[in-house]
Amino acid sequence: MNFELNDEQREWQMKARAFARDEIRPISLARDAVADPRETFDWEIIKKGSRLGFRTMAVPKEWGGYGTDFVTQAVVMAELAKADSAISKSFSQNWKWSHLISAVCTDEQKERFLKPFVADDTFLLGKGISEPSAGSDNRLPPADDHKAGLKLRAERRGDEWILNGEKCFIANAPIGKLFFIDARSNPNVPLREGTTMFLVPRDTPGFRIGKVFNKSGWRFYQNGEMIFENARVPHANVVGQANGSDMKTHQAGDRTGGDIFGDLELAANALGVCDDACEQALQHARGIKQGGRYLFEQQLIQLKLNKMAMLTEALRSFVLRVAWEHDRKIKSPNAGLAMNFSTDVIQEVTELYMDVRGAAGCRMDPHADKLTRDAMIWSHLAGDSVQRMKVARRLGH
Amino acid sequence: MYNLHLSAEQLEIRDTVRDFAARQIKPFALKPARIEALDRSLPADLLHKASQLGLRTLALSEDHGGAGADNLTGCIVAEELAAGDPDVASVLAETSRLAHLLFDRAMTGEQRERFLPQLADDGCHLAFADREADHDGALGINYHRPDTGEAEVKTKAARTGKGDWVLSGHKLCVANAPLAQLFAVTARLEPHGSDSDAVGTLLVPRDTPGLSVVPHDGPDRWFHGTCGEVSFKGCQVAGQNLLGRGTHDLLRDDAGRGAPLSAAVNLGIGRAAYEAALDYAQLRIQGGRRIVEHQAIGAKLAEVAIRLEVARNAIWQAAWASDHPDAVADRSLPDLPLATLARAFTAEAVHRAVKDAAECFGAMGVMRDMPLQKYVRDALMCLHADGGVSDGKLKLAEAIVGYRRTGAASLRAAE
Repeated sequence: MNFELNDEQREWQMKARAFARDEIRPISLARDAVADPRETFDWEIIKKGSRLGFRTMAVPKEWGGYGTDFVTQAVVMAELAKADSAISKSFSQNWKWSHLISAVCTDEQKERFLKPFVADDTFLLGKGISEPSAGSDNRLPPADDHKAGLKLRAERRGDEWILNGEKCFIANAPIGKLFFIDARSNPNVPLREGTTMFLVPRDTPGFRIGKVFNKSGWRFYQNGEMIFENARVPHANVVGQANGSDMKTHQAGDRTGGDIFGDLELAANALGVCDDACEQALQHARGIKQGGRYLFEQQLIQLKLNKMAMLTEALRSFVLRVAWEHDRKIKSPNAGLAMNFSTDVIQEVTELYMDVRGAAGCRMDPHADKLTRDAMIWSHLAGDSVQRMKVARRLGH
Repeated sequence: MYNLHLSAEQLEIRDTVRDFAARQIKPFALKPARIEALDRSLPADLLHKASQLGLRTLALSEDHGGAGADNLTGCIVAEELAAGDPDVASVLAETSRLAHLLFDRAMTGEQRERFLPQLADDGCHLAFADREADHDGALGINYHRPDTGEAEVKTKAARTGKGDWVLSGHKLCVANAPLAQLFAVTARLEPHGSDSDAVGTLLVPRDTPGLSVVPHDGPDRWFHGTCGEVSFKGCQVAGQNLLGRGTHDLLRDDAGRGAPLSAAVNLGIGRAAYEAALDYAQLRIQGGRRIVEHQAIGAKLAEVAIRLEVARNAIWQAAWASDHPDAVADRSLPDLPLATLARAFTAEAVHRAVKDAAECFGAMGVMRDMPLQKYVRDALMCLHADGGVSDGKLKLAEAIVGYRRTGAASLRAAE
């Protein structure tokens, strides 16, 4: 066994650490405090990060990207998230769909979409799955209800598909240039058999962005509604085959045994937040005095710091193991388990951090407050009972 | 006799307040535009209506114009109000608590006669200005050790030749300060003979020249109700506004009445989240059936119900104990700080409960224009109020082995 990072991985880690420290951390709290959800985003940080490779690092080298491995990606996500979880996610969201493009798109599609993505510092990607009446049903379609799941309708008309319906809670929707959209191409069969995935550029006729959601955490990370009114998508934009949208299968090219990348992504991002909380809590405990003595001298403070570090280091081990397994194309439920575990860890660690900080007078430290709000995002993305049951069903396979 | 029957009056007031909260407070407090903007400004008209229902002076004796409610009733009311809005509940609970302590127990007949007419006004709220800068209420480092630092009262009241007081100083985190018409102010009395810890409590009307209030506000505020900084710059206070010996301890320790009230506010937050999740779980269809019919959600809601019900039992027991001080002596109740216990349990139980309730809503659980994220935030505030739950446990740990604090922490009253 070897826990050392190689030179290339280490180099990316150092580059991410410096960028996080010098560029992300200084704007993090100010961005979080912006009241209007449309105004929390900052293109400058995206452009700066993109020029350093943080937008395109998961794109294979032959398509102009950096072709980094999963261990590097995990390490970089954690470094960026240590300065701001939502900004880290704004970069890694692109890696998620870069992986998908690499795995399942044709060379012709890569030519049309991957090349412009690589060339443009402001080209962001997204994927639309959730709908107002289809959240958990998409993640875990019920065996006894074929109608359950997304309703966005796609009908073939000659060389085009006509899309009608809406998506909600879609990451990057308000700012993205290209989206993967799951739509029902056959409503009479179960979700997995009747859904097609489309590449939908921002300027597709009949497609527009609706409301921008106002989240309590991850405020930088944009999230919006998508509306399709006779949106016309060329047949050439079908990803894989019609009625075959499930790309997270072995047949479709996934070798991670998980969610291609998404499970690892949330776990690695949580790790960065936990690192931040641990470091700040320790600094606070060693720097603040009560009754003439440092907080650190108190047993309860030591026990809290111990628990924070213990959980964080356990998460780090799990995250890096999953990344390592992904790089070796080992099929296992570990990515999903790590994602579920990261929910418990990020919430406990940020709550302990808030506890170590305490309410000074009748005010809460804005940083501790931000981290607990960011951590709540994991409840529905990574750690709800559906996400846990979904992973349980991967056990033993 | 073990008896959990509420009286007809208690049931009636619970129904009345529940209805008031559901029909009037909640529609205001949870307006999407309001919660989305993190707007916590208090609704003056609703506080006025609550006062007309008798909730502002709930604990004040009937002789003095109040409802004469016991602390258990106060907790029942606080929970119902907080299920509508914990800020409204906290303001009313604080004024009601102080109305009883000051008017029924601390004031002389002469003082009551002067101040009671003012209290009759529906807009008259009360505040206890005690805490100062550098004051650290947390037990923390002093656990099981005599206090080292002097818990000094720096606000000074200098006696003039005419026998009046000139008050100078600065108080922080004073609950109700922005609304209060009358303050009870802790001050060091000078001259004070040989007693260097001579601390007294003065009644200071809001309109006293030299008194100013700056509300604590902004996104980092971490309390329920309303709170502010109070400054006294050479305030002239009449000599007869000094309250009697022991008032300071009475207001601070409160005979165990305050903690159950704040725990009841905390419980109301949990109940609001629970009721929202219960409604939604019976409406939302996923997996081919109402989500409450899935084991994962059903069991989660059951856990929420367990936590809230056990917390309510702890609060009611502590409240009942504060209403029946003889219940320890006659061996009905254990000699434990039941109020501290109830508060610590409730804070943790409600925090878990609101997180579980929020999870039932999926992504809507974190949206600012939906109430769930507010319930989570409100529950976190309770978890970290007054030194936090960890500190409450340390106080409990001292109390269960009978450790008695000595020194500066137990300030002696003047006169």
